[in-house]
Amino acid sequence: MSKLKDIISSRWRHIVLFLSVMGPGIITANVDNDAGGITTYSVAGAHFGFSLLWSFIPIIVVLIVIQEMASRMAVVTGKGLADLIREEFGVKVTFYSMFVLVLANIGNVMAEFSGIAASADLFGISRPVLVIACALFVWWLVVKGNYKSVEKVFLGACIFYVSYIISGFITKPDWAYITSETLRPQFQFKGAYLIMLIGVIGTTIAPWMQFYQQASVVEKGIKLKEYAYHRLDIIIGAFVVNIVAFFIILVCADTLFKHGVRIETAKDAALALKPLAGEYCYLLFAFGLFNASLFAASILPLSTAYSVCEGMGWELGVNKSFKEAPQFYSLYTSIIIFGAAFVLIPKIPLVKIMLISQVANGILLPFILILMLRLINNKRLMGDFVNSRTYNTIAWLTVITLITLSLFLLLFTFFPQPN
Amino acid sequence: MVLNYPKKDSMFIFFSELEGVNIIDKDNNTVGIFYDMIIEPIGKYARSKILIVGTGSWQKSYASVEWSHVSEVTQDGIRLDLACSGLSFLPVLDHKSELSLRQDILDQQVVDTNNQNVIRVNDIHMLLADRDLVVAHVDIGLKGIVRRLGFESFIDTVVKLFNKNSDYLYKPRLISWKHIQPLSINPVSMTVKVDVSSKQLLDIPAADLSEIMLELSPKHRLALFKTLDIVTKSQIFSLLDIKEQKSLLEDLGQKESVEILNHLPTDEAVDFLGELPQATVHNVLGLMESKNAKMLSTLLGYSGESAGGLMTTEYIAVHEASTIEETLRIIKEKTLKAETIQNIYIVDQENHLKGSTVLRRLIIADPLDNVMKAALKKTVSIHVDDEVKKIALLMDKYKIYTLPVVDALGVLAGIITIDDIFSRLVTIAWRRARKKKQL
Repeated sequence: MSKLKDIISSRWRHIVLFLSVMGPGIITANVDNDAGGITTYSVAGAHFGFSLLWSFIPIIVVLIVIQEMASRMAVVTGKGLADLIREEFGVKVTFYSMFVLVLANIGNVMAEFSGIAASADLFGISRPVLVIACALFVWWLVVKGNYKSVEKVFLGACIFYVSYIISGFITKPDWAYITSETLRPQFQFKGAYLIMLIGVIGTTIAPWMQFYQQASVVEKGIKLKEYAYHRLDIIIGAFVVNIVAFFIILVCADTLFKHGVRIETAKDAALALKPLAGEYCYLLFAFGLFNASLFAASILPLSTAYSVCEGMGWELGVNKSFKEAPQFYSLYTSIIIFGAAFVLIPKIPLVKIMLISQVANGILLPFILILMLRLINNKRLMGDFVNSRTYNTIAWLTVITLITLSLFLLLFTFFPQPN
Repeated sequence: MVLNYPKKDSMFIFFSELEGVNIIDKDNNTVGIFYDMIIEPIGKYARSKILIVGTGSWQKSYASVEWSHVSEVTQDGIRLDLACSGLSFLPVLDHKSELSLRQDILDQQVVDTNNQNVIRVNDIHMLLADRDLVVAHVDIGLKGIVRRLGFESFIDTVVKLFNKNSDYLYKPRLISWKHIQPLSINPVSMTVKVDVSSKQLLDIPAADLSEIMLELSPKHRLALFKTLDIVTKSQIFSLLDIKEQKSLLEDLGQKESVEILNHLPTDEAVDFLGELPQATVHNVLGLMESKNAKMLSTLLGYSGESAGGLMTTEYIAVHEASTIEETLRIIKEKTLKAETIQNIYIVDQENHLKGSTVLRRLIIADPLDNVMKAALKKTVSIHVDDEVKKIALLMDKYKIYTLPVVDALGVLAGIITIDDIFSRLVTIAWRRARKKKQL
């Protein structure tokens, strides 16, 4: 079969090979910019100005490192993360890490439905109607419908994020100042800043992403020799997430922060797009938020149910009947119901839910990271593909940083500073 | 299979109950804890062979002890007849081809050959006979998980409060060890570790095996596949869809791929090769046995929807000068490879189709007669370029479900059996039905 290689010219071969393995990284990246993400970045920009922009330089490095680890494990072992955790660490560790994952993801699903509820407010539709309709749609789409065909619609609609990038140029911000803020790490010893920082990290590098990314690479059946192309997919994906996030913060800082607007509802966040869309900024924002929420809401409950059933050894898959895979369907359905029902509580502060869920992601991430690091450095599993020293240093530093930040946050919660 | 859990004082013991118990040497010193156990097959079951003692909490090290040195096993500790100095601790475990309970069975996926599905092992149920441990069942139920988590007595009490006769309490999901096929991979041969005495895996029909394979990770799929014999391999291969076929061959490497293609029925091989790029096909044919390659390259020249593209070349043909006796002998020789032995074709020196007969006629005929005497009055044949619809019409008209295919010169090229065109017919019928519905 080696002759084939000679026939197709080498440049085309590279492009074709890249296109054939492309997907998992870029899709994961776009799901990553979900309701929780948009909100967290908006609040970060509106309340802290440009002072969080510097965090994207370390975040992008860490995101690439961690996503690459998950993919490498998928390609080398051909197994999902939950599978590996179960096989290497046994029932106890699996049970508790699945507990962590379910907890974090219930928070995320709540955030997605909050996003849907918030966009209902902006569209002028009644909240319960849109939330319930979306919950039913998500359930139906995955169980009875064809998710794969709808995925392209979701991905296409992600073009919405470009509006932030355009806005970023329309408002003509002070680029010299932004550059210096981005390159100069700074830290404020305040509970609110700490929450924001953990939230930004947690929403960009969420625990669920590692499970989802690894599962999609396994499902795609990417082979070791195609791996170099897949790595490119990850890097592009990571840049997409971070550039979008960077511009959301930038735009919100340049419009909302400047005028002292604090984001209490989605309406406030939508104002950031006013320089671009004028009076239509609410509709534009609502559309983007709605798509992001629905996209992530169709992936998260399913991805959670898959991981948990995989780890616990229960039957799983949407091609099984309820009787064959009762745990799978119960888990899947109850995560949707729980997430949707919660946001229907009258007068619930949607922005707060979206924000807190992302902080929870940040606090829970190190536990999943430690497991990933132990797995990827296991020679019996990974052979010559264990982590390099640079990778280990970056990943362990992330773990230590996140734990330290969380401990400080705990400290501030119990001993609030007199302001 | 459903079994009752034995009472506490019986001789059954779970792996999880032994996990971490102290290992005591002959001088009553604790030398480490029970970490793992290597087993050896005895008949349908497996017995403890080597004890792995673990020690250290951060920097772990392990020692192997032959089970003959174990003098007593209880839930409180395992006693050795060795002194502490007889144990050599190493930082790594190394048992390549042998089965160990912790590494190869516990928490891993295994195949239940009885129910023919892939399951995950929550705990291992063993029989304590004197000081030997015999693996009896694997636990795949919720109770196994709860026990491993250390909540068994608590959860049992809670469940009893609500439902005294709950299935959870009295119907544990234990699968007999004799039905268990481990999937761990032998790093030397890259096949699944199988014990020679059990041929369980081969008892599973190829169709079910291919479904089991789809549930596994690509690595285990490959290892399981490599463990099978060539006949099963080619059967499974023909059941996979084109994407999986390609991926499998890519992983298998050239030698094994070609071996499989050589064993594949020609119509299946043509279906597969037809999906590959031209250059690859030439390359593959170059590696195959020249006889097979020649046949396949001819078949590949026909359009996929024509008789030539659908036919197989695994038919039985005899020379027109043969006797009935010789014909029957040829049938016996070719019976394994041929697609059907019902229809026998009679040809001349250049393989021109001269007539055909059926097995029934041959059996009742005089063995010494010429084969032409048993020939059918009329032999319906089709041309290599004929379309599915025409073939179906002919089969229906003459009520013959196997038709010979000839080229422009009347040379027998292959045969078409009804199953070759059946799936095409179903597609056509289904399309028509849908159109009607829409109208």
